[in-house]
Amino acid sequence: MNAICLTLNGEELREQVEPREILADVLRDRLRLTGTHLGCEHGACGACTVTIDGVPARSCIVLAVMCDGKTVETIEGTRTDDIMNVIRRHFHEQHALQCGFCTPGMLMAARDIIARHQQPDEATVRRELSGQVCRCTGYMGIVAAIQSAAAELHPAAASAVCANS
Amino acid sequence: MAATTETKGWIGARLLRKEDARHLLGASTFTGDVRVPGLKDVAFVRSQFAHGLLNSVVKPDGLETSVFSAADFPDLKSIDGGPELPSFRTAPYHAFAREKVHFVGQIIAACLAPTRGAAEDIADQVYADIEPRPAVVDMVEALEPGAEILHEGFPDNAFIHATVSEGDIAAIAARAEVEMRRSFRMNRQATVSLEGRGVLAYWDHRLDELVVYLSTQGAHMMRIGLSLALGLPEHKLHVIAPDVGGGFGGKNRLMPEEVAVCAIALKTGQPVRWIEDRREHLIASVHCREHHYDLTLYAEKSGRILGLKGEVHIDAGAYSLWPSGPFMEASMAARNLPGPYQMQALHVETHTVATNKAPMGPYRGVARPGACYAIERAVDELAHKLGMEPADVRRINLVTPDQMPYRTIGGLRLDNGDYPRALDMVRDMVDLPAIRRRQAEGETDGRRIGVGFAVYTEQSGHGAAEWMKRKSRIVPGYESCTARVLPDGSMLLLVGIQNHGQGLETSLAQIAAHELTLDPAFISVRYGDTALTPFGFGTFASRSTVFSGGAVAKATRLVAEKARRIGAHLMQTEYEETRLEDGAVHGPSGKVPLAEIARAANVRQEFLPAGMSPLLEATATYEPEESGGFFSYGAHAVVVAVDPETGVTSLLDYAIAEDCGTMINPLIVDGQIIGGVAQGIGTALYEEIPYDPDGQPLATTFGDYMVPCAPELPKLRIAHLITPAHGTEYGVKGMGEGGAIAPPAAISNAVCDALHGLGVIIRETPLTPRRVSDAVAEAEERRAAVSLKEEVPA
Ligand code: FES
Ligand code: FES
Repeated sequence: MNAICLTLNGEELREQVEPREILADVLRDRLRLTGTHLGCEHGACGACTVTIDGVPARSCIVLAVMCDGKTVETIEGTRTDDIMNVIRRHFHEQHALQCGFCTPGMLMAARDIIARHQQPDEATVRRELSGQVCRCTGYMGIVAAIQSAAAELHPAAASAVCANS
Repeated sequence: MAATTETKGWIGARLLRKEDARHLLGASTFTGDVRVPGLKDVAFVRSQFAHGLLNSVVKPDGLETSVFSAADFPDLKSIDGGPELPSFRTAPYHAFAREKVHFVGQIIAACLAPTRGAAEDIADQVYADIEPRPAVVDMVEALEPGAEILHEGFPDNAFIHATVSEGDIAAIAARAEVEMRRSFRMNRQATVSLEGRGVLAYWDHRLDELVVYLSTQGAHMMRIGLSLALGLPEHKLHVIAPDVGGGFGGKNRLMPEEVAVCAIALKTGQPVRWIEDRREHLIASVHCREHHYDLTLYAEKSGRILGLKGEVHIDAGAYSLWPSGPFMEASMAARNLPGPYQMQALHVETHTVATNKAPMGPYRGVARPGACYAIERAVDELAHKLGMEPADVRRINLVTPDQMPYRTIGGLRLDNGDYPRALDMVRDMVDLPAIRRRQAEGETDGRRIGVGFAVYTEQSGHGAAEWMKRKSRIVPGYESCTARVLPDGSMLLLVGIQNHGQGLETSLAQIAAHELTLDPAFISVRYGDTALTPFGFGTFASRSTVFSGGAVAKATRLVAEKARRIGAHLMQTEYEETRLEDGAVHGPSGKVPLAEIARAANVRQEFLPAGMSPLLEATATYEPEESGGFFSYGAHAVVVAVDPETGVTSLLDYAIAEDCGTMINPLIVDGQIIGGVAQGIGTALYEEIPYDPDGQPLATTFGDYMVPCAPELPKLRIAHLITPAHGTEYGVKGMGEGGAIAPPAAISNAVCDALHGLGVIIRETPLTPRRVSDAVAEAEERRAAVSLKEEVPA
């Protein structure tokens, strides 16, 4: 067992973990943060996306011991995040989810895409989503939601685009 | 009240989904999220051989009580599925392999530990002594004389041979001007819901029952199956399907893991769960597709198709899954082969074949993606042979609106709609003449442009007679609903179907809202719990809107009628003088809110008319009178660019014109179409589980089993025709599967169209870069061989 100390969703946390335990299992099974989903457990589907020190990461291929001293945020930590709540609303309005299993990971990825791209075009959003699998929606609603959320969250960029055109 | 095509109000509203909120918060509860004190995890020991004699299972020293195999459960019943036909051969499928193993991934033992990791550590130490036998991996070769036989007592490897024959094919063959024989193959897939399967079981001492959380499409159905396998009466089995992360057919069969976990929970008295990982899903969940067609098409030189003769092989894998097995796949493939085309004769021999692979089950579209692929590819090949535009050949042969209802030569009753118009619409949407011009000009980047069409039909809402015809051992001929108005006037709909992404919490609430003039915000839909809802079959076969929607309509109308009687009494007027509007019963001189009526009915009986029983609730079942089903249909047109060098296909444009009758919620309808098409694109271009000659599956991770991701998919353009069904509530038709049916056909036609000039022949899916570039290379070799011959002086 190894002692780790991390900031999880804004709170200090100390845990004893086995060296082989993955972050996703610690989150889900010990801490009962089951909003982080597992779709493949080999880093290919993005359902388990969380952020580590602000950067999206696949919690299914990150060992918990690697998170010692880091800041981790899961979907549960975003409930009062104003930006995420705007993105949520656009996901809802654009029918960007069906079964909902990919949704938490999608949202974590979406917020990151919007943070890095003020006014992403469709091709950019699709490329940026290449590591996130959704089996239900065919991605059209997800792409539209990310674009419309970006437009709402970066109005200056949106008007700059309008002015240029 | 008779069916109406009323589309005002809540019916037809693009209402945003009620079920979104919990998922968006990460607060949903899937089976893997359920926690019970003392829960233990199961890891399965699975066969590494495709075929062999299981001589013994050796448990690790000191861990005997944590490992379970067939010997621990002598009383567990096998879970055999299939039709009730004497000609259907069954082989017992036990939750734990007994004596023999028949596919890689079959369960040999289960190991129990506090965590999955610890359980896998034990599994590594279990030794299974297996004496390998030759593997049977090809469905056509499996029936050849001398093939290794999988199951004792089978004269050959078929579960069943059957013939579908209508009209005089010999007469047609004798007079046809054109005869064209072609073989087509659609390869094996998994269903790949993003949430894998999962089951958690524990004995509840207070309720004296086994509680089973199960990721399933039909909790009530699975209770029947579990009861049969475990020998536990149904009242001691409580099946709960919480949030289910996609099913697509793959969660509509009773699987051995589910029986095993329940049996272990019963035996040990401990809460036990198993959560499928992706590797297990790809090798040992429900597999699907894998059809082989050998067809001869008879036609006139004008392009008119006269008849179809051929053989269909279905690779059903090693066992027949409960309840209905793989049998329907073959009969549906054969009966759907004529598609929406007028023909005079059909003669198809079908073979449902056992091989050393994971058992086959249903997957979105069931059989029809294969049948549509085969006939639509054949139509294009006929067009090429006759030098005609493929869309024109379709136009000549399509059933026309004035022929409706039309009984196809496959015996399906196409009820209504305008199929030629759907084709014309997509032809215009992609601008066929412009594409032909672009093709003539050629591309500067060396790629080749192609356009492909496919027309499909989707039988939905078929009732008892249809399932009886199929000799199904379960006849899902109805659905049920209890509509319950609570004392404050809010409402619960308890339904027997399952919602795993289809938006039924919203669309069923819209139906109740329409009938009771209530806001859907005051209506909750409950499902997926055998203790809570009346019996129902679950969600599959595009049936939930027709059946469950119908049951909701009927139950809420009974409630509405009672509410009006109470309202009339309270307003001292006649029932006939009342109507429902804005959540209140209106009379000639006033109104009473439903909430007040509900209060009277539930807790203030003194306000009820004399002799009326209390409560404001009703249970109804629904089945449409016409049980042959209602056919949604549509046409797809796709434009592709193919790089002959790399074999990579890009989708440039994708147009859909579809008709599913009245839409309860067009937002949800479009979502189902887009999602279905995305899966169909997966079948067409990416998804495949190949097996090597030893029966080893070669796609076991998302690294080698490719599902479509956002960059590969185009923006789809959808046009709706709306021909309300006659004989369903509101004129609805089911439409959940249609999107997945046509893409393999349309895309294959487009790729073949692109490469036609190079003499390329591809009659197999998926069209992976390797398969396409190999076919291009073969075509080049053929051309080189021909030109060499020509150079030799005579
Ligand atoms: S579960 Fe982590 S990437 Fe799929
Ligand atoms: S909504 Fe089901 S996987 Fe995305």
